[in-house]
Amino acid sequence: MISRSCFLVICTVAVLTGSGRILVHASESARVISFRNDITPILTKAGCNAGSCHAKAGGGQNGFQLSVLGYEPREDYESIVLEGRGRRLFPAAAEQSLLLTKGAGKVSHGGGIRLPEGSANYELVKAWINQGMPFESPNEPTLISLEVHPGKGIVARGAEQQLQAIAVYSDGTQRDVTPLALYESNTDGLADVTQAGLVKARDIPGRIAVMVRYQGKVAVFTAAVPLGAPVDSVPPVRNFIDEHVFANLREIGIPPSPVCDDATFLRRVTLDIAGRLPTLEEATAFAANSSADKRDQAIEALLGSPHYADYFASKWVPLLKNRRDDASDITSNFAFHAWIRDSLLANVSYDQMVRELLAATGTVVENPPVAWYKRVKDPKEQLEDVAQLFLGVRMQCAQCHHHPFERWSQDDYYSFAAFFSQIGRKPTATRNEDLIFHKRGLAKANNVKTGEALVPAALGDSVGAIPAALDPRLRLADWMSSPENPFFAKALVNRYWKHFFKRGLIEPEDDIRDTNPPTNPELLAALERHFISSGYDLKELVRQMTRSHAYQLSVMPNEQNLLDEQNYSRFYARRLQAEVLLDAIDDLTGTNTPFANLPSGTRAIALPDNSYNRSSKFLQVFGRPNSASVCECERVQSSSLAQSLHLINSAEMKAKLALNTGRAMRLAQDARPDEEKVTELYLVAFARPPKPEELNIALEYLQAPVLDAAGQPMDATAARRQAWQDLCWAILNSKEFLFNH
Amino acid sequence: MKTDALSQLARLGDNSPLATKGRVATTRTTLPLLVPPCMLACLLGLAIMPAAVWGQAVCLPAPRLLTTLPMGGQVGSQIEVTISGDNLEEVEELHFSHPGIIAVPVKDAQGTTVPNRFLVTIAQDCPPGVYEARVLSRLGISSSRVFSVGNLPEVTRDKPNTTLNTAFSLALDTICNAVMTNQAVDHYKFTAEQGQRVIVDCAAGGIDSKLQPVVILANAQGGDLLVERRGGSIDFQIPATGEYVVKVHDLTYKGGAPYFYRLALRTAPVGQSVPSLPGTRNVNAFSWPPPGLPELAALGEDETIAAGQAQQITLPVDLSGRFYPAADVDTYEFTASKGEVWWVEVASERLGRTTDPAIIVHHVAQENGVEKLTEVAELNDIPSPIKVSSNGYSYDGPPYNAGSTDILAKLEIKQDGLHRLEIYDLFGGTRTDPRNEYRLIIRKAAPDFALVGWALHMNLRNGDRNALSKPIALRGGSTMAMEVLAIRRDGFNGEIQLEVEGLPAGVTATGIKIPAGETRGIVLITADSDAPRGMSLARLHGTAEIEGVQTKRRCFLASMKWPVPDASQEIPQPRLELEVPVSVNGSEQAPLTITPATHQVWEARAGEKLTIPLNIISRCDHSGTTVSLSTFCAGMGRVPAFDINITQPTAEAVIDLAALKTPPGEYQLAFYGSAVAKYRYHPEAVTQAEQALLLAKQEAEQLEAEAKSLAELAKSVMEEERANVEKTAQEAMENHKKAVARMKAAEQALQAATSKAKPKDIVDIVVSTPCSIRVLPVENK
Repeated sequence: MISRSCFLVICTVAVLTGSGRILVHASESARVISFRNDITPILTKAGCNAGSCHAKAGGGQNGFQLSVLGYEPREDYESIVLEGRGRRLFPAAAEQSLLLTKGAGKVSHGGGIRLPEGSANYELVKAWINQGMPFESPNEPTLISLEVHPGKGIVARGAEQQLQAIAVYSDGTQRDVTPLALYESNTDGLADVTQAGLVKARDIPGRIAVMVRYQGKVAVFTAAVPLGAPVDSVPPVRNFIDEHVFANLREIGIPPSPVCDDATFLRRVTLDIAGRLPTLEEATAFAANSSADKRDQAIEALLGSPHYADYFASKWVPLLKNRRDDASDITSNFAFHAWIRDSLLANVSYDQMVRELLAATGTVVENPPVAWYKRVKDPKEQLEDVAQLFLGVRMQCAQCHHHPFERWSQDDYYSFAAFFSQIGRKPTATRNEDLIFHKRGLAKANNVKTGEALVPAALGDSVGAIPAALDPRLRLADWMSSPENPFFAKALVNRYWKHFFKRGLIEPEDDIRDTNPPTNPELLAALERHFISSGYDLKELVRQMTRSHAYQLSVMPNEQNLLDEQNYSRFYARRLQAEVLLDAIDDLTGTNTPFANLPSGTRAIALPDNSYNRSSKFLQVFGRPNSASVCECERVQSSSLAQSLHLINSAEMKAKLALNTGRAMRLAQDARPDEEKVTELYLVAFARPPKPEELNIALEYLQAPVLDAAGQPMDATAARRQAWQDLCWAILNSKEFLFNH
Repeated sequence: MKTDALSQLARLGDNSPLATKGRVATTRTTLPLLVPPCMLACLLGLAIMPAAVWGQAVCLPAPRLLTTLPMGGQVGSQIEVTISGDNLEEVEELHFSHPGIIAVPVKDAQGTTVPNRFLVTIAQDCPPGVYEARVLSRLGISSSRVFSVGNLPEVTRDKPNTTLNTAFSLALDTICNAVMTNQAVDHYKFTAEQGQRVIVDCAAGGIDSKLQPVVILANAQGGDLLVERRGGSIDFQIPATGEYVVKVHDLTYKGGAPYFYRLALRTAPVGQSVPSLPGTRNVNAFSWPPPGLPELAALGEDETIAAGQAQQITLPVDLSGRFYPAADVDTYEFTASKGEVWWVEVASERLGRTTDPAIIVHHVAQENGVEKLTEVAELNDIPSPIKVSSNGYSYDGPPYNAGSTDILAKLEIKQDGLHRLEIYDLFGGTRTDPRNEYRLIIRKAAPDFALVGWALHMNLRNGDRNALSKPIALRGGSTMAMEVLAIRRDGFNGEIQLEVEGLPAGVTATGIKIPAGETRGIVLITADSDAPRGMSLARLHGTAEIEGVQTKRRCFLASMKWPVPDASQEIPQPRLELEVPVSVNGSEQAPLTITPATHQVWEARAGEKLTIPLNIISRCDHSGTTVSLSTFCAGMGRVPAFDINITQPTAEAVIDLAALKTPPGEYQLAFYGSAVAKYRYHPEAVTQAEQALLLAKQEAEQLEAEAKSLAELAKSVMEEERANVEKTAQEAMENHKKAVARMKAAEQALQAATSKAKPKDIVDIVVSTPCSIRVLPVENK
């Protein structure tokens, strides 16, 4: 018979004063040690129920299965107390329990020592066993929230801040769970945190966030790490974006770089809106334009150009998985790409575009967004993609267990999946291509764990009863495009912010959650409000972003903002993405890259699907995505040796430079003075004329004798061709060319 | 030194990790190809191996008219039309489906007929619309190609226009006929004035083109303004006087002869309705409209009624409405009594719209002031009477869909009182298209039927995915089978007899009826072995007794727009045909004829075995010696397949009436299977080419001798005549050279004819001459 003696536990309970400072009072209460409230947190802190350990899917470790992070304490209790023929616990001699001997490393344990003998946690578990291993005490309060103290603050560079985690229970009691909570820094580059809750700011100014988790509840600590430099002046404020960016810079004391020059702006904004270099004519005309609002004029012209639609279609197409898996996919892929591109060209409002995609019906050719349902067939994948892409919410974890960083449960997951439960399919004449229709009936999805049939609900929001005749996806679209929706507009403006400013206000851009706060919440909220009030007008959003002086800051750092990586105190340069770079090289060299099935002169940013990656080493090397993931991270923007080698020495680049009708050959035969021709080259490449130093180097190079492979002087014609090719080659290999800056 | 300078240039402004310092500018090398080009070509070749390289072709050659250029013309005009097609030799006539369109061959200055060119006259009273063109050639009447007639002046694009600089100028209110350039965008330009309304429309699929047109309206610099990709038109009000550009391309940038189009630039006052360019009808349109239906509905949807509110109607009803705007649900309420039976028919897809109408009917009651709805019916789709091809590995059904997403169903009223009918488009959740009209008819039962047929397809070899267009161009001694399907209306369940009228001499037709309760029948069209060359317009129809009245309905014919040899590579596109021409070629006979030994009614008593002796006429070698024959028949039961030896002149078909339990009565039947003929294409052409070559050789030899003789003569004549003789000798030499060129051409023609005439394995359907049998009752002893 198991002894169930009563055990007194002394708890330390923390309470808050009005000032926010933590006061700790020692109060004693006699209580039963609860598996749910006392033992599970120990197992979580020790890592026993991590997904890589005993919570691993398919049986845990060696038959000992726990729920992920202890979200199912009742199941864990049964697993420890009742399963394994009771061998995991030994009430007669608690310290001989397998749970403790393994945890303390007294017997072989693959996970190592997790509960050192004699530690407080070890003793508590032992006491619990001795107490008779109750699951919970009568009327035991439940955990309702977690608080972290302080919630926000200012941490000097290099300084430390101890956090305190407070669990709040349903009976109003609070408990200091600092040692048992889990800590994770959202901004590794800026701050570290120990598992005791000690935050250590690094030397980089900015905003830091630390996520604190305890028993399924999360809290977040945010703080500014100011530079503290005087910000005497900022560029004139052009719109609400500038207000919030510059206010933040003043607050944390980072002086911004000045506004960039005209040529840099034109090149930057043309690359960012239209995915191409400014043409020679555009660069020349822009330089000659003396209007005060010529930058705004340029933005308008770009927004009105088809290249805007082409470029932003190239952003959405991989995320919407327009993937060529079979030759017969070509029609649907071209149609789907064209639908995205045409919608952007016509500036169809974003909510309408998403609505047309979400609730698409019919055949692909007649209604191209149906193509998304051709590629994404599993309702679970549909909900996960929609949540991540359009709401910035990652629901994947919640399919199997409560989301560890978020409030999403399996019920939330499957009730979201229920929106996609009435999608009917009929085969069409095209292989593997169904037509999509709304299958009349009440939408429901089963929670695979509980078996409960759940009606559609949108991330915890009720959307009301959906009659059988109504396509539930339309109701989902209604919910998404509601001005009150907390995710939809936010996810988009954050995604677009990242496009123009390199770093999202929330990073990753599709992981929006309470525990991953934006670096500038006021700015994000203002962008969201503006986007909603504009009627989800994508061009207006781009207009506001690119008109701001925040966007137009120089890339060149000053002494204070060199280390800034998240406050937008200067423009963050980034490498041109694969398609843009290939087009830029074609523009510079005066060539066209041929693509199968497409007319000569088709730009790489207008490619409809991923199939061209297979035939283009360039696109592969520079990281064009393969439309396999809903995450923008599939596009590889990092640099590599292969990229350098390709630009320096590939047959493709050589052929472009040496093409008879190419720019280098044309310039070699052009009778104009070299100075004019070098200027043309620089205007095409950089939207600016060469600096005197650059011009001198170029002219000197062009006039120097050229030797052939045998070391003999080349004839004049061949030498000029070679020299112009080399000059083009040097420019296209320059960082100024390869980067948007 | 040069390298250093370039490095310096390349480094200027560099501040990134992608530094490429220290490389040498002048040592760019070419990376080796890992796979030799020839090997690559082989690998690619394997992946795209065309069906033509199979050892065995499918279906004997049939004449097919594939293109006309231009594809139409203006009423009252005369135009020169160039044609092209498959298996077209000795084209005698270009035939149109309207008597107001007449063609005569074009002749050159010498009065010689120019091959494949016709002067077409469109009568002033020919109504605008789409018609069919066909040619009568050596093998008979060809498949059809749409020919459009319109009111606007027409032009044909006659030079490349694939860039903005080469944009083809078009006047407003013009139709341009053009063939899409492969992997390119065709450019047009026009000038319009501010405020003018311009409608840009492009006919393609509706006129038999393979083009899936993308039409773009752009500014003068070529910058896209509006794009239409779904077959609609661009309706544009000109914002500023000036030049505008229209770009046209295929959705996947395909081009070439089959990708033709008619681009219309029309002006119209704002607010005026402008119909789309006319086109052909889809196969499933055969079942619309029901006989006797007025062109316009008696009632229209009241679009002022707010969503969720009902329009009150009284049954019976015939009304028109629209699925507009997106997610539109039109609600109608009517009163009906328990036990009433109504028939509901909706047309929308059959009107050419890409919709999927659905209806839900509820009974509406009030209980304690609360509305109580009881579902009465959910109506959706007209299923195809038989399985449609899945375009899978092998034949699994005809590549024609006689079904529709429209509605034709019974509505049984279960309770007295108010009923609420909601009609909506299952494809319409997000699509706002004012063209998405529907016609809703609720009527008392009016039993009837609609028929559609097409040339029979069946599995002819492993992996057979052919969907070829098959004109009824008969060879002597052949029988062609047409598969006929019925859509039955309002509970009509009786048998339907199938008949053909208006056949040419020597041609007969036999209908294997559609039995009561069934939906499939067969029409067999047989040419006698010695049938003379001829062509006539036939009429297919079905007759049935409906409620004591003999009712006759037209059977529409459908065919493929293009012969598709492999449906996994190209989706077959069928359409309804406008007329049913039948021809016999009079020269080439069927490779294999199977016919009952005598023309008689074969009699047997129920329960006996009936033996029908068959004659087999094999006119060429065949691959294999046996052919497995199945039986077309209706009401006799399923006759087991049996083999015949086609190397023998006779065979027997033995029908076990006992096993089949065939009831007494008269039946039509025919035996069918497939045979692989070693077919020679147009062997007469070889003889003709040989004769032509002989003549050319003789001519060349004669001219050579003449030239030599004159050359010799020039040496011996007097000085004053020498120049003349030398000139004549020179001319003779030139003539000789021309004759040699003609001789070489004749050699090539012979080579080509010989090559085509080489025996080639072609598998095709073989159908016996039909026969009649009479099953007599068992004799009472």
